[in-house]
Amino acid sequence: MFYSTRSKLIISFLGVSILVGIISLFVGIQLLYKTVLNEAKTRIRLDLNAAREIYLSHINTIHTALSIATFDGELHSYLDSKQTGKLKQKLRSISQQIGMDFAGIVMENGEILCRTGPDATPGVSQQVQNPVANYVLKHGTAVSGTVILKKEFLIAEGPELAAQARIELLPTPMAAPRMEKEETSGMSLASGIPLYENGELFGVLYGGILLNRNNEIVDTVRETVFQDETFKGRVIGTATIFFKDLRISTNVITPEGERAIGTRVSREVRDRVLIDGKRWTDRAFVVSDWYITAYEPILDIYGQRVGILYVGVLEAKYADVRRNVLSVFIFITFAGMIIAIGLGYIMANKITRPVRQLIQASNEVSRGNLKPDIGPISKNETGVLQKTFSEMLSHLRERDRLQKVESEDKLLLSEKLSSIGRLAAGVAHEINNPLTGVLTFTHMLLRRSDINEEVRSDLKTIAQETGRVRKIVKGLLDFARQTKLDPETTDINWLVESTIALVKNEALVNGLNLEFNPAEELPVHTVDRSQLQSVLLNIMINAFDTTKPGGNVTVTTGLGISASKTEQKGIEIAISDSGYGILPEHLDKLFDPFFTTKDVGNGTGLGLAVSYGIIERHGGTIRVQSKVGKGSTFTIWLPLEGQCEK
Amino acid sequence: MKSKKILVLDDDRIVLESCKRVLEAEGFKVFLVSSAREAVELLTTGYFDLMIMDVKMPEHDGMYLLEKIKEKWPLDIWPELPVVVMSGYPTPDTISESLVRGAREFLVKPFTPDELISSTYKALKRSKKHGKSKSISDR
Repeated sequence: MFYSTRSKLIISFLGVSILVGIISLFVGIQLLYKTVLNEAKTRIRLDLNAAREIYLSHINTIHTALSIATFDGELHSYLDSKQTGKLKQKLRSISQQIGMDFAGIVMENGEILCRTGPDATPGVSQQVQNPVANYVLKHGTAVSGTVILKKEFLIAEGPELAAQARIELLPTPMAAPRMEKEETSGMSLASGIPLYENGELFGVLYGGILLNRNNEIVDTVRETVFQDETFKGRVIGTATIFFKDLRISTNVITPEGERAIGTRVSREVRDRVLIDGKRWTDRAFVVSDWYITAYEPILDIYGQRVGILYVGVLEAKYADVRRNVLSVFIFITFAGMIIAIGLGYIMANKITRPVRQLIQASNEVSRGNLKPDIGPISKNETGVLQKTFSEMLSHLRERDRLQKVESEDKLLLSEKLSSIGRLAAGVAHEINNPLTGVLTFTHMLLRRSDINEEVRSDLKTIAQETGRVRKIVKGLLDFARQTKLDPETTDINWLVESTIALVKNEALVNGLNLEFNPAEELPVHTVDRSQLQSVLLNIMINAFDTTKPGGNVTVTTGLGISASKTEQKGIEIAISDSGYGILPEHLDKLFDPFFTTKDVGNGTGLGLAVSYGIIERHGGTIRVQSKVGKGSTFTIWLPLEGQCEK
Repeated sequence: MKSKKILVLDDDRIVLESCKRVLEAEGFKVFLVSSAREAVELLTTGYFDLMIMDVKMPEHDGMYLLEKIKEKWPLDIWPELPVVVMSGYPTPDTISESLVRGAREFLVKPFTPDELISSTYKALKRSKKHGKSKSISDR
């Protein structure tokens, strides 16, 4: 499968941004929520402290009011005079002032002197246990706090109190099971103040508030601590007073919209707070919602854990915060991803565009277009590649051009040579027969003795000139003949030397200095000895012809590289002379058949053309360098590999 | 000495004439034919000491004729007809092929009378070296 660099880049960018996004989402939200939750828990603990203070302040109010009452002169005069009717009025007015549900005076012998509720039978000792009075009488000190009141006491204090205290237990999920169907006892805030006369305790003034179905404290907590804050129409802050695990005073609302009195706390909270006596601060499911909650046990005046004080705030508020944060995070992540894609796309494009253009350009080059568009040069590594690529292209173009020129030249020359060759062969063949006749009859005439000298001289001229024709035709045929090569493994130095031996005398006669500089180590080569020799002879004789006496003809052998772009390895034989040189305009006609600069009759103009053909068939080339007046160098180059064509 | 009989085959009249003039001047009996068919006819009816032939002719070329001679006369006797092959367009191929097929000499056109004479004698001389001159008609 092939993925472009661009998609890879985009995918990597995307991957990184998704990873970062998700990690920050989870970690961020966890951290944030933990912090918020901890903050909320800390706050709720403080809230619970505030609630407790409110709870205790109510106790203090009762205590203070009753303490003040014991110093009331009126009260004492009524006590002294046993005016129970007045006393009752007095107690009722105090109760009303501070909102007490019950109050009364119990004498040292347990007789109830008076109470705000229905009158007790005078003179009858207290049949019903009064926990507050009992405590004071037993310890001789004032007491204030939470007190559990039995149903009998409540009935005695007033039937309406007993009714208020009776709470039916509602089925509550997660609560610990309880056998009873209803709670008839009451939980109260009460105070008992000892009454002394001349240093002697003679009675107890008591009073208190029944907490069952009395929502004053919890509503005060809600109002003062949570300031009636609402969230989506629901009150955030809630407070509850539990009697054991039962809600007796609360502003937690049931789904039906009523105060959740009669429902109970979960077993988990009960076990920890009521049984273990510890605080609880955590999220908890309260009635029908999740709350961040704080619970602490309520101790009665005997130090028994009798109830629980609870405050809680709707978790929904914080959950909403979490939801908001979550959506912000998600939004940021998505935005980041989109930016990453965009950025990736742009960068990938920036990086890959030149590369893609290069790929396209190379495709075009392979299809033969050597001038493809490679786009603007980048200022990075790709730019280096582009520059190298375009340099390579220009080399290719130059090479292409040279090759074209070379092969065109070559083709032209070989076409010219072969057509001339065919023509020559045809002509030669036809001419040979009549020439045979001319030669024969001329010679036959010359044999006769009955001819005079003038005729003989003329006949000789005919014979001579016919001989010349024969030579020309022979040259033509040599040139045209597509002679098969007969390659043999040959030491080129030896071949050159033996050729030089053949022409040594001629060089001497012409007064020329013939030299041979053999290469020291020359690989053996496979050539047609006689044909190569005729080429060497031809070029050497030409050199002799153009060089004045006293001049030099030098033959050099060596290794050389082909003049073509392929830079093939090969062997070179260079024949230099210090002759007239070749006129520049003659240079490209040099190998044409019948081209000669020699006097008419001295050359056929076929020697070099034939030589060219022979070397070409060997896969080699002949190069000529010449300077007029300085001399010429003919360089024969023969390839070392793929040497001969057959 | 009885004059030797030479059969000359060429499709060009002037070549035939030239050969006739030169060889007759040397004292040979010269017979001229201008096609391979005629040559085969003559060869089957009479004895010749030498045949001079061109290898390249319109009807059948000389190679064909050499092949024909080889077919017609078994291997043990055919070398006894020495053959000189002429060509106006000698290539190493035609030369070597001719020699393989039994030619004794190869003559390049155009030739001078001296060249013709020297080739003729050379071919005859070689033939003599083989000794046992035996006429075809004897058989």
